[in-house]
Amino acid sequence: MNFEAIIGLEIHVEMKTKTKMFSSAPIRFKAEPNTNITYLDLAYPGSLPRLNKQGVINAIRVSHALHMSIDDTLYFDRKNYFYADLPKGYQITQQDRPIGKNGYLEIEVNDQKKKIGIERLHMEEDTAMQHHYSDYTLLDYNRVGIPLVEIVSLPEIRTGEEARKYVEKIKEIVTYLDVSDGKMENGSLRCDVNVSIRPFGSDKFGTKVEIKNLNSTANIEAAIDYEILRQSSLLIKGQEIAQETRRFDEAKKETVLMRVKTDAVDYKYFSEGNIPPVHLSQEFIRHAIETSNELYDQKLERFLNDYKLNDVDAKILLSSKELADYYDEAAKNTKLYQPLANFVISEVLGYLNKNNISIGEFNVKPNNISTLVEILNNKEINSKQGKDIFQKMIETNKDPLTLKNEMGATLITDKDKIRADVLEIISQNPTLPTDYKNGKTRALGFVMGLLMKKNRGKVEPNLANEIIKEELLK
Amino acid sequence: MNNYLNLSIVELHNLLLKGEVKPSTLVLEAIEKCKNDEFNALEALNFDEALKKAYELDKKEVPSDNYFFGIPYIAKDNLSTKGLETTGGSNILKGYVPSFDATVISILNSLDAIMVAKSTLDELAMGGSGRSGHKGLQYNPFDKTKMHLIGGSSSGSAIVTAASYVPFALGSDTGDSIRKPASYGGLVGYKPTYGLISRFGLFPFSVSLDHIGYFTRSVEDAAILFDALNKYDENDYTSSLKERTKVCPLDEKEVKKVAVISEVISSIKDEKILNSFKNYVQELENRGVKVDYVNVDSNLLKAIYPSYIIISSAEATSNNANLDGVKFGNRKEGKTYQEVMFNTRNEGFGELIKRRFILGSYALMKENQEEVYLKAKRVRHAIVDTFNKILDEYDAFIAPAAPSVARKVNEDSDALDDTYLIADNYLAIGNFGGYPSITIPLGLKEGLPFGLSITSKIFADKKCFEVAKLSEDIIGLKGLSTSNIDEFIKEGK
Amino acid sequence: MKEVNKETLKIAAEKLLFDMEDSQYETLLNEFHVIIKQLELMDNIEDLSSYSPLSFPYVDESFSLLRDDEVIEETLLNKEEVLANAKEVRDGQIELPKVVG
Repeated sequence: MNFEAIIGLEIHVEMKTKTKMFSSAPIRFKAEPNTNITYLDLAYPGSLPRLNKQGVINAIRVSHALHMSIDDTLYFDRKNYFYADLPKGYQITQQDRPIGKNGYLEIEVNDQKKKIGIERLHMEEDTAMQHHYSDYTLLDYNRVGIPLVEIVSLPEIRTGEEARKYVEKIKEIVTYLDVSDGKMENGSLRCDVNVSIRPFGSDKFGTKVEIKNLNSTANIEAAIDYEILRQSSLLIKGQEIAQETRRFDEAKKETVLMRVKTDAVDYKYFSEGNIPPVHLSQEFIRHAIETSNELYDQKLERFLNDYKLNDVDAKILLSSKELADYYDEAAKNTKLYQPLANFVISEVLGYLNKNNISIGEFNVKPNNISTLVEILNNKEINSKQGKDIFQKMIETNKDPLTLKNEMGATLITDKDKIRADVLEIISQNPTLPTDYKNGKTRALGFVMGLLMKKNRGKVEPNLANEIIKEELLK
Repeated sequence: MNNYLNLSIVELHNLLLKGEVKPSTLVLEAIEKCKNDEFNALEALNFDEALKKAYELDKKEVPSDNYFFGIPYIAKDNLSTKGLETTGGSNILKGYVPSFDATVISILNSLDAIMVAKSTLDELAMGGSGRSGHKGLQYNPFDKTKMHLIGGSSSGSAIVTAASYVPFALGSDTGDSIRKPASYGGLVGYKPTYGLISRFGLFPFSVSLDHIGYFTRSVEDAAILFDALNKYDENDYTSSLKERTKVCPLDEKEVKKVAVISEVISSIKDEKILNSFKNYVQELENRGVKVDYVNVDSNLLKAIYPSYIIISSAEATSNNANLDGVKFGNRKEGKTYQEVMFNTRNEGFGELIKRRFILGSYALMKENQEEVYLKAKRVRHAIVDTFNKILDEYDAFIAPAAPSVARKVNEDSDALDDTYLIADNYLAIGNFGGYPSITIPLGLKEGLPFGLSITSKIFADKKCFEVAKLSEDIIGLKGLSTSNIDEFIKEGK
Repeated sequence: MKEVNKETLKIAAEKLLFDMEDSQYETLLNEFHVIIKQLELMDNIEDLSSYSPLSFPYVDESFSLLRDDEVIEETLLNKEEVLANAKEVRDGQIELPKVVG
């Protein structure tokens, strides 16, 4: 029997705001435990929530990027359950009226574009961080209340690869919008997967299995592929698929049972009485969208059209938002877009890869890179000197013009000096002018070689070329 | 013993201004009265801090424009007080010392009012009888034999005002938790328009019904206190952004037209109360106020209580889900985290609120939500629509605040008769619609007070006070307390 | 409405993380009988379904103010304050018996 997998993804994205969704406590990663906290974060009686404007703006921007319709009135609900990491005993969320509805995103699989529908995007808040030890658990409340958006796909994903690409696209969108770090490994992007299978052609859904604790896009793909195989072989054997929650065992590359789902939990949702409906003006929504950062696709279009970069180079520069931003910044100081791209890709990226650091940790200012590209392009220095200056820029943080002078990295442009050297070379090889006139053009190269050798390469080559020609033709 | 504290805030302010008393005199008197409390009114005491502040104020000049300078008061123990244990009347919060002040406490602090103690309440403000809190029963101070209750949930605050431990006390009102005990305690009890006095720091019971309010012994005091507390607070997302205006001075001549809901009156059986009300209405008319008897579908009125109990209990389960012993409160140990939370809640909550929580969670269950919880909220909507229309036409609607005087210690009402369903519970209309609503003393029956309720439309707090002021003049029980009731009885009240 | 008997009430209590005495469940069951009768009173209201569930006393523009994304330093708690009200504390954090998924 042939089976079709029905895959739905729920993605939680932690928003990169200064303060929490409902409290004015700061969000500072890697802070000392329990130091980013105010009354609401510990659910002290009488503390009250206040809605973070930036959290709302971020949710609008992501909704817009996912082609969703955006609700102009915000409603919040409570999701009630008891858990060690949930201080209030409920989570503030948007159950009835999510801010974003009915969107999609596009992925490319086997050179084909596929639209994946997105049911909803809603705002909610994070829980406390639990640190488990041998026989106790410690609670750090710094994470409580960090804004989250939850993005729920329609069950339109069919393979592990599609799921991976879908998550990569979401990650790309939230990082390009700069609303989140979007790092699965840090938990700032988390993904729960639902997988069920059914015989091809059937329109009924099979029993859903949930997979949790997936910490990379590769694992998402692997877990789904494994799960599809597992479920298929169960069905082929005539066995039932149990409704359960599984996790991915990275070492074994298998999903393993966490718990069997009994009755669905009743979260007793009801409206959050401390936050009356908030009307958002069209102006507010439009402004949030208009002032948002460029998405990948928009940036790519601009790199191709405005900078006239080739497709391959543009995509390399866009492989991370930070690198693209670096290039953008450097491009402000030059019109030499393609040479700049070449330099960033070969030299800057080469350096980063060799030293295994990110562009964020690279201390050379973008405008210094553009200056270096300019003087290289003007042949004020040669490529060997360019490399030396680049290395020094990294070490000393000085600008390339200063370094050029300090390192004496200049080319000889004194015509009389060049002519004297050329004449000396010709006088030692008196047949050269005749050869040249007879069409043996390599005579020119021969002189150039000796000239450069004599001057350790530091002769301005265009000038030298001109002078050699003149003398050979005399 | 001195009895300055039987005077109103305004009278005390004038004595302070003239230099006839000092803040410390007043605070010492309040402390003395608290120490001799026989009605079981108090929680944490703040004597040392209060005295320290009083002695500081003794040295300062009394500002003529601040009525609250040096005035002692008591706050209900569901208001967060920084550095002072706040339990909400529940064992589960035993030992909880808040790290912040409720906004109302901060305001009074900044006005140099002096908090001498916290007052007890029905557990977590649920119950309404003054007998469910962890301190046991709160007795009505008008009955020295302790056969009657003061009512709740702001039971302690009602006692301390009626027995003049202080000239005013803060409370909270979710269904009638200020206005009902005010009726039983011969007090002025006020609940403002929703969104005018910040709820920040009020332990939540049912947040869209919860209001902070207070007890005083005169309408004027209630009005000046309103002017002090009526402030936008960015900490409370339901704090109204409307520009605030002072209600004082009050002008009773502005009162033109009031409504009496016929079905409320006809559900009252107590002849004494009905008579007092009739006489009062007569005098209102004599003074040129138009009084209309208005009919409201009694089915709607009978649905107030079920709607209230469902909405408030449902939301209370969630509002008190933070009480699990993990972050604060009276944690009980266990082998697993679930056991810790279970033991804490199991031992920490009293019986009545456990029953309310179960009822509330039933209402919220997926299979019941539409039939129970959402239906109750539809009833709320129907009631608010009906009363918005009435209040648009009238300065206020008036009725006795309760169908009886204070309940006996072991007395229960018939939960299904009209007197209970309507006259004993209609005050929740004020919470459903967020209306300004006040209770003032209406009369005395065998030495026990009963009250009059006045309710106006939202943001018409000034009008509500003006109707109350006029009514206070007519009724003549201004300043009633346990120490002067005999004089009023002699006058034939 | 979901069936109400001692068993279902006990389950509801468990989900709320407490229990009661047997006699207290009796009291509650009796209370439920009364409340169910009171709830029936709601059905006598004409046209009730035409009213939407009301969650706030009133709603107007006066509430909709979004908070600027700025830290308010005065309301921050230091670690000592955070831990002051917790009964079990270890290594600057609040302690619980080991939490297992």
